[in-house]
Amino acid sequence: MDRLNRDAIIAIVLLVFCGVFFWATFDIRQPDYGVLMPSTWPRVILGVLSFLSVIYLVQYLRQGADETELEDTTREPGIRGWVLYWRNPLWCFGLFFVYLATLPMLGMLIGGVSFVFVLLNVLGGWDRKNLVLHAAVALLAIGGMWSLFTFGLGVLLPPGMILGQF
Amino acid sequence: MIIENILAAFVELGTIKTFILMMVGVAGGLIAGAIPGFTIAMAVVLTLPFTFGMPAPQGLATMVSVLVGGLSGGLMAGILTGIPGTPSSVATTFDGFPMARRGEPGLALGIGVWSSFSGGIISAILLVTLAPQLARIGLEFNPWDYFMLVMFALTITASLAGKNMVKGLIAGAMGLLIRTVGEDEAIGMARFNFGSDTLLQGFDFIAVLIGLFAFSQLLRDVRDPVAARKSLTDKGTIYVRIEHRRAVREILKRWTIVVRSSLIGVFTGILPGAGGSIANILAYDQAKKASKHPEKFGTGIADGIIAPESSNNAVEGGALIMMMALGIPGDVTTAVMLGALLIHDVIPSPTFIAEEPLIAYSIFISFFLATFMMLGLQSFMLRVFVLVTRIRMYVLAGVILGFCGIGVFAINNIEFDVWTLVWFGILGFLMRHFGFPLAPMILGVVLGNIAELNLARAMAITTDISPFFTRPWSLFFFTIAIFSAVFPLFQGHRGKKKWTLFYLPVACFAVSVPLYMMGGVNRPILATIVLAYGAYTLWRRGQGGWQLEAVEGHDLVEK
Repeated sequence: MDRLNRDAIIAIVLLVFCGVFFWATFDIRQPDYGVLMPSTWPRVILGVLSFLSVIYLVQYLRQGADETELEDTTREPGIRGWVLYWRNPLWCFGLFFVYLATLPMLGMLIGGVSFVFVLLNVLGGWDRKNLVLHAAVALLAIGGMWSLFTFGLGVLLPPGMILGQF
Repeated sequence: MIIENILAAFVELGTIKTFILMMVGVAGGLIAGAIPGFTIAMAVVLTLPFTFGMPAPQGLATMVSVLVGGLSGGLMAGILTGIPGTPSSVATTFDGFPMARRGEPGLALGIGVWSSFSGGIISAILLVTLAPQLARIGLEFNPWDYFMLVMFALTITASLAGKNMVKGLIAGAMGLLIRTVGEDEAIGMARFNFGSDTLLQGFDFIAVLIGLFAFSQLLRDVRDPVAARKSLTDKGTIYVRIEHRRAVREILKRWTIVVRSSLIGVFTGILPGAGGSIANILAYDQAKKASKHPEKFGTGIADGIIAPESSNNAVEGGALIMMMALGIPGDVTTAVMLGALLIHDVIPSPTFIAEEPLIAYSIFISFFLATFMMLGLQSFMLRVFVLVTRIRMYVLAGVILGFCGIGVFAINNIEFDVWTLVWFGILGFLMRHFGFPLAPMILGVVLGNIAELNLARAMAITTDISPFFTRPWSLFFFTIAIFSAVFPLFQGHRGKKKWTLFYLPVACFAVSVPLYMMGGVNRPILATIVLAYGAYTLWRRGQGGWQLEAVEGHDLVEK
């Protein structure tokens, strides 16, 4: 995807986004009191945002690609290249989603330590020396933080099903 | 009254616990600022969850300490490794690194540390003296003026994105829109909750900030698998002893650079959205232009370290002046500070200093104290910095991602906030990737409620919209918002198109109108000076036959 297409697509996505949200403003209840209706301010913002999106679209259709912001040319073409290029952020997002999805079961301590341990291994490599180091880092860092919040600041962090039994 | 307030703040902060927290804050800030890829804003954002359980003055003092430490931390990495720890220390590397490589790293660090200290103290003095004065002016503001002030803050922040101004404005509007999700401020009606009860409470401002700023930055830091496994020591960091005495002598010889650069820093900080990253380059550039030996800049001279380091530490004083006097954050870090005040049920406004003198003066005093602590801790933290540079980037990023989850959950003890963190982390990551600046969006999120509330108040007084353009202060903000919006266009065409010859005179004429309308004695005098300057500029350009000449690409010379 070249830059011209990419910017045009972003502008179109923004316009669709504005359209959806503008439609959603009709679901906002209008009370019979107050001067500024609850939907007025969001509509003003959406109007401005739509206008700016149109300018953005026209600007990039007229000017073409911005050569100063081109992506890394070392990237392999195709989906495989894209995944390889972005693999670390994708792993971070993916593992964070798993961490959140399992939070009710594992809780913040076990879930947090597991998340950091797996993430460090994924980003830094799975060799034996790293496994021990990463386990220690995850346990000390998240365990320390969990203890600080739980015992020091009195914050009730989710214990999860496993620790919740004790 | 001022003395009483200062003494009360000293008593409030004068506990061993607060001192320890401040020392830890400064030390943490110094390290966070020294690590390339970790911004000061990120350090301040991540400190916020720890301050929830503290009294407001103590929590804010801790955050101010992190901020002051972070501002000075960038110079360690910049001077010793040539990689600026933060964007606000980019210009420090221009002369700091060459001086260190020449065999004088101790002197370079000493000059950097003492320049930071001087900039911080000058800015703290201006903070204490200017903020209450500006707050007094702020008391003249009505809802129309406040609304226009917010619009001006957003416009000028977006205009700093330069040629990407449209993207900056889009980001600002998106920030305003994000703040409308949930119950509206004025009458509590549900908006954009799409039937979800969870969305009724809206997105937590701190979770949004951490997601947009910290989470997305960490993902960028680990994007390159090879770089993520590297540590700074690969670049050859060495331990050195800071040469304090020699550094102080060098700085005293160049006190004019310190004062000028600090003033540049304070002024840049007052402008919403313009932070240390701009101030340090601007001060370096000014020092070079004013120097008798500009050709020596970049070879490792003291002037090239003093200017950026004095200015970047002075920036936060300016940003705090704006936040405390008018409730408008000058940059992302003060936006977080504003969030911290809101958590403690304190709403910054022109009455803030008068109504909450203890908190206000605690911020002033902690800024002073933290600057002294920074000076004392710098030598010790240099050893810690050497240790930290051995940690690989992916380890730091992974651990901090884990901290983000716990810290964000602790805000309201609800899981939804952690989801907010991750979704806004993705949004922030995409925005950075597609070249959208994040600062206008963050200001939009912070100022969205203030804008809407003041719009509602203005509409409740009268449905006539003309006061937005006819009241002196709202007209003033509207005028400078328009000229700041056109500024990137002016910069691009300066020296190439004739209309740019009229930009400055017209701006002066336009700004003088609301100043005359304000009445009194001082403001009409100021308006006359501004008007006269505009007329003089126009006359000079007319005398030159409206000729343009581009020198070194952009500089305009009138013939």
